[in-house]
Amino acid sequence: MNIIGPDYLVFGVDDLAASIEYLTAFGLKPVDVTDKGGLFEALDGSGIIVRHKSDPTLPPPLPTSNMLRQQVYGVRASEDLDAIEAELSKDRRVTRLADGSIETKDDHGFELKFQVTKRRELVMPAEKINAPGAPAQRKPNEIGVWEEMPAAPRMLSHVVLFVPDIEVATNFYCGRLGFVITDVLKGAGPFLRPKANDDHHTLFFIRTPDYMKGCEHLAFHMGGPTELMVAGTRFVKKGYQSFWGPGRHKFGSNWFWYFNSPLGCHFEYDADMDKHDDEWIAREAPMGAEASQIVLFEMREKWAPGGPPPGAKP
Amino acid sequence: MASAQLLCRVEDIAEGEARGFGPLDGYRRKIVVLRRNGMLHAWLDACPHYPGGTPMAWKTDAYLNGEKTHLACHSHGALFDMESGECVLGPCLGQQLTRIALAISDEGEIFVAAAQEEKRA
Repeated sequence: MNIIGPDYLVFGVDDLAASIEYLTAFGLKPVDVTDKGGLFEALDGSGIIVRHKSDPTLPPPLPTSNMLRQQVYGVRASEDLDAIEAELSKDRRVTRLADGSIETKDDHGFELKFQVTKRRELVMPAEKINAPGAPAQRKPNEIGVWEEMPAAPRMLSHVVLFVPDIEVATNFYCGRLGFVITDVLKGAGPFLRPKANDDHHTLFFIRTPDYMKGCEHLAFHMGGPTELMVAGTRFVKKGYQSFWGPGRHKFGSNWFWYFNSPLGCHFEYDADMDKHDDEWIAREAPMGAEASQIVLFEMREKWAPGGPPPGAKP
Repeated sequence: MASAQLLCRVEDIAEGEARGFGPLDGYRRKIVVLRRNGMLHAWLDACPHYPGGTPMAWKTDAYLNGEKTHLACHSHGALFDMESGECVLGPCLGQQLTRIALAISDEGEIFVAAAQEEKRA
């Protein structure tokens, strides 16, 4: 089962106009978006599908107030869909759609869809840095930052779910769909990557009461930490609300910056995540501020030394 | 005694609307002022879900849910009664927002007292 990761996350919201404004300002590109919503793409074509919660074309809601309606996973080939269908049909209904994709539910009732991935292959450079002792990554006269530099989300990275039972969730995604645990934050839950993706995680669980079941946050990969901080700074300047960051996580090593949203969950810019293969042995750490991050900063308004002392006579 | 700080005028907050001010001197978070059933209420912009409280809007002054029936925390979708500050849905179910006392002058200006020493949640 060559699952790559989430192609799309589907939301049914109570304020569609606010969500459309937010997703656009976050840096996603509206594709065929009307006043009924639509798809907002990252550069590789993965992204967020948003509609009003009353839209009959949406999958059914969770029994909670969470607005996540469906996780759409991309797989490598149609044979992978056949394998997933064969495995999950053993104990639940799996629906084959006209386009060959399949729909079902996980063991917590989260709606799932699997399709041959619609992500486009990205060919673009990572953020380049220069450091003594290493070959320069930027040529002479190639500058690192400029005011209008691009800082667009490149790819849907991961989704984090509130689940009431970590063991049930882990058994389903690992036991039935071949995900692998890369690290565990004890007291919260495990980080998971699917077989056909070497990112540290595309999925993470946090244990919560049943009535909170849903999406805690989702994240998009940026081209590097500078792009992350530039995009986040621009977002704050437009009035959007930072929740946590910028900083850098320990597990996964990814830079992070989280924001509130009108979609009932946090949106995260992330950058420079670790890659793993099957040789990796999962680590464990107790959930807490120390384990969560190697550094944490908080944005402030731009400032520079200079000017007269306060109260100085002109 | 610390001096009172001006927020806005009473007519600046329409029925069913909310606005954020600050953070003012002595406060670590903004103050949310809203009008519900004609009455003004003010709450510290600090969701009680996590220690210290976290900011609740998704954008400047965007404090209400889509239906405009509740004050909402746009971290995890917690809903608060606009008049009592009680969380009626979400991770902090049953907990309260911190009420901020308002003073309204004869001229219709809304003030808050400067916090002497705000208690940390």
